[in-house]
Amino acid sequence: MGFRLHQLEPHGLFRFLLFLLFFSCLAFLHPIPSGASPVTDPLYLNELMGRAEAMHLVEEREWHVLLHYRRTLFGGTESMQDDPGFFMAPGGKTDPQAELAATLSMFFSDELVGRSKQPAQCAFVARYYWLNEKLRFDATRLPPQPCERFTRWFDEFNAAAITVIFPSGFMNNPSSMFGHTFLRVDGKEQTPQTRILAYTINYAAQLPPDAGVEYAIKGIFGAYPGYFSTIPYYLKVQEYRDIDNRDIWEYRLSLTAPQVRRLLMHTWELGNAYFDYFFFGENCAYHILSLLEAAEPSIRLLDRFPLYTIPIDTVRLVRESGLVGEVVSRPSRSTLVRRKRTSMSIDERVWFDRLIRNPANLQSEGFRALQPDRQAFVLETASDYLLQHSAVGGEEGAPFRDKNRTILRARSELKVTPRDLPIEPYVKQPDLGHETGRIGVGAGWRNHRAFEEINIRAAYHDLLDPEPGFTPDAQIEIMSIALRHYHHQSQARIEKFSLINILSLAPMDSLSKLPSWKVNVGMQTIRYNSCTLCSNGVANVGLGAAAETALFKREVYFAFAEAEANYSRAYEERHRIGGGGTVGMLADMTDRWKLMLSGSYLRYVLGDQSDDIRWFAGSRYTLSQNWALRLEYNHRDRDNDVLLSVQAFF
Amino acid sequence: MKKLLMLAVVGVFVSTQGGFALAAGNPDTGPGCGLGKLAWQNYPHQKVIGIQTMEATTNGLMGNQTFGISSGTSGCTNDGKFWAEQKVNAFASLNFENIAQDMAQGQGEHLASLATLMGIPAAQQPAFFAMTQEKYTSLVAAGEASPVALVKALNEAVATNPMLAKVSFKP
Repeated sequence: MGFRLHQLEPHGLFRFLLFLLFFSCLAFLHPIPSGASPVTDPLYLNELMGRAEAMHLVEEREWHVLLHYRRTLFGGTESMQDDPGFFMAPGGKTDPQAELAATLSMFFSDELVGRSKQPAQCAFVARYYWLNEKLRFDATRLPPQPCERFTRWFDEFNAAAITVIFPSGFMNNPSSMFGHTFLRVDGKEQTPQTRILAYTINYAAQLPPDAGVEYAIKGIFGAYPGYFSTIPYYLKVQEYRDIDNRDIWEYRLSLTAPQVRRLLMHTWELGNAYFDYFFFGENCAYHILSLLEAAEPSIRLLDRFPLYTIPIDTVRLVRESGLVGEVVSRPSRSTLVRRKRTSMSIDERVWFDRLIRNPANLQSEGFRALQPDRQAFVLETASDYLLQHSAVGGEEGAPFRDKNRTILRARSELKVTPRDLPIEPYVKQPDLGHETGRIGVGAGWRNHRAFEEINIRAAYHDLLDPEPGFTPDAQIEIMSIALRHYHHQSQARIEKFSLINILSLAPMDSLSKLPSWKVNVGMQTIRYNSCTLCSNGVANVGLGAAAETALFKREVYFAFAEAEANYSRAYEERHRIGGGGTVGMLADMTDRWKLMLSGSYLRYVLGDQSDDIRWFAGSRYTLSQNWALRLEYNHRDRDNDVLLSVQAFF
Repeated sequence: MKKLLMLAVVGVFVSTQGGFALAAGNPDTGPGCGLGKLAWQNYPHQKVIGIQTMEATTNGLMGNQTFGISSGTSGCTNDGKFWAEQKVNAFASLNFENIAQDMAQGQGEHLASLATLMGIPAAQQPAFFAMTQEKYTSLVAAGEASPVALVKALNEAVATNPMLAKVSFKP
C-alpha cells in the first residue's frame, strides 16, 4: 500500500486515525493502486474516488478521449498510447478504472512523472482540468500545483484559433504522396502577414538520421515512435512551399476559446509520450484528429478511420463536422513562378527567360526601357525562380543564389510597390475533390464474350479520375480489384488486381526538367497461346518524360522506357522478363470529359521469349463530385476488351 | 543517391552555415544555440526522385530534439518554444533568403514578421520596409556574414533613421 506515517501532513495524526477508521471499510471498494506514491490525504482521495465512481466518470467519453482508449476486437478496452509513462497505473493501458484511480491518487503527489518529469497535475493537465471540473477538488485538501512550465508554454501561443494545414501530395517522396496534415496555433496578435510566426502542432515518426529503404517498410508496421512537436510555421512553409514545391491549404477552425484551451492542454500531455507510428493507419492525420476530439469530445472523428487514414479524408471529415471557417491557400514557389510568368506579356517573358540565365542582361537598354513596375515584376519573378532552384542546396544551388543576389540588388533600386497578383494553386481545394475510395459497376465484351464487372479500389486516384483537388498528372492506386462474370460457359474470376500502381507525370518546360516515373505491381488477365483467360502477375517500372500543350484545353504527352517481369502458367518456364516502352497522351476535352490514349511495345528476352503490343483508349465523363462514367478499350495481340462502367467514390 | 543526399543540404542555410558550426559561445556568428546544424541537414531534395526514404526533415531531425513538446531545455528552445532572446536571431538565420527578397521589394510576410519580432509597431513598419530596401546591399552583406550581424545592422539602421529612431524595440 505504501503509506508511511511521516509523509502525512504535519497535523496528520488526527486524519491518520480517521483514515484508519474509514480505510478499513472502504479499502476494498477503492483499492489504492500498487506502485503509486504516498498520498498526502488518503481520506480525501477515497472520497474523490467514491464520487468518481458514483458519477461513472470512467465511462465518460472525455476519459476515453484523453486516454486514447479504443474498443478492441475482443470487447476489451485498450489505449493506443504506447508510452508506459503516459499511464499512472501499471495496467492503465487496458484498464480505464485503475488508471482513473491512479491518476487521482497521483494528483496528491509532487513526484515527477512521465518523460517530461513534471508532477502528475502538470504532466496530465487536461485530465486534471477535466476531473477538477467534474469533482470540484477542494484546493485545501488537494492543493493545485503551479505548473509553471505548462503555463509558460501555453501563454507563448497566445492562442486565438486553430488552423488545419494540408500540404498537398508530393509524388517524389512515397511518404508524402497522400499529403500531410498538422495544426497551426494562430496567435491573437498575428496578422495574415505575420502568420508564419505561429507555432504548429505536428505529429511525425522519429526516424534514425541514417534512414534507408528498410525504414519505409518499418514505418508501415509501426516500428517507430511518433511524437508531437511545435515547429514554427515558417519552417513548415519553407519545407513544403519552398523546397518540396507543394501548394498548402489552410483550413481555419471555428473552435471556441475553451475548446482551443482543451486542445492545447491535451497536446501538452502528449508531449509526455509517443504512439507507435503506422504509415497507413495511426499516422499524422489520425492523431491530429485525436487532438480535435480532445478539443470537443462530443464529435467523433477517429471512429471513421478504423483501417487506414488518408490525410485529405480527415480534412473533409473535419469540414463536414462543421468545424471549418475560412479556407485559404498558400501556393508553392513553383506555382508562384508559373502563374506570374503566365500573366506576363510576351516581352516581359522574354526578359524573364534571359535574366534567369544571365542577370547581366539587366544592363541592356531593352530591359531598362520597360516601365519600372514591369521591370520590378520581371525581377521579382526571376528571384522566385532562382530561390526555387537554390533550394537544391550546397554547391548545386550556389550559382542560383549568386544570380538572385544580382537580381535583388537591381530590384531594390526600383522604388515601386510589387504588383498585387492573386495566385491560384494548380491543385483545386482538396476537400472538394472526389472521395478516395472507389467502386465501379460495368459490363462489356471480351473477344465477343459478354461480361459484367464490379471493381473496387481502396485508394486513391488514377489519371482518368476527376481531377479537382488532386495533384495533376499523378496516379496512386493501392489495393484495387476487379471481379468479372463471363457469359457462355458461365465463369467468374478475379480479372485484375493492383497492389500498387503509381504513375507520376512531370511535364517538362523551360522552368522544370523533372523526369516522370511509374511503378506497377499486380495481376491482370491475358489471352496467351491456348489459354484464353489466364492470370498474369506483373511487376513493371518505368522512367520517362512528359510535356504539355494547350491546343484544345490541356494535353499531356508522355513516353516511358520500362522493364517488366511477368509470371503466369501460360508461359514456358512460367515467366518472362523484358523491356520496352510506352507512349501516350492525356487530354482534357472539357471540364468533365477526359481522354487517355497509350500504346506499348515490350520485348521479353528471358523465360518465355516473346513480344507484346498493347493499346489502350479510355474516356471519362464526370457526372458529379463523386460519380463518373468510364468507357475503356484494351487491346493486346488478338485480345480485345471493352468495358463501360459507372463509378462512385465513397 | 548518397551523393545527391549529401548535396541536398539546403541552400537557405549555406551562406550562414560556417556561422552555425561555430555558433556556440560566439554571439556574432549565429543564434548561439546550434540550431543551424540541425536544420534541414540531409534533407532529401525533390531532385532525388523515385524511391526516397521516409522524410528526414523538420519532422524527424529537428522536431523532437528542438521543438519537442515538454522536452525540457535545449540550446535554442525551452519545452519546444524559442527562448525569448533567440527568437529574432533564429528567425533571421532560418529565413535569410526570404527576408532578403522581401527587403529588395520593400515588403513581404518575412520582413513584416521580422519587424514584428523586433518590436516595430505596425504603424512604423512601412518606413522600416522602405529603409531596408534603401539599405538592401549593406544589410544583405551583413546577413551573409552572419544572421546576428544582420539583426545588429537592422537595429543600428533603425536607431539612426529619423522616421524610426523614436521606436523603442526589443532586441
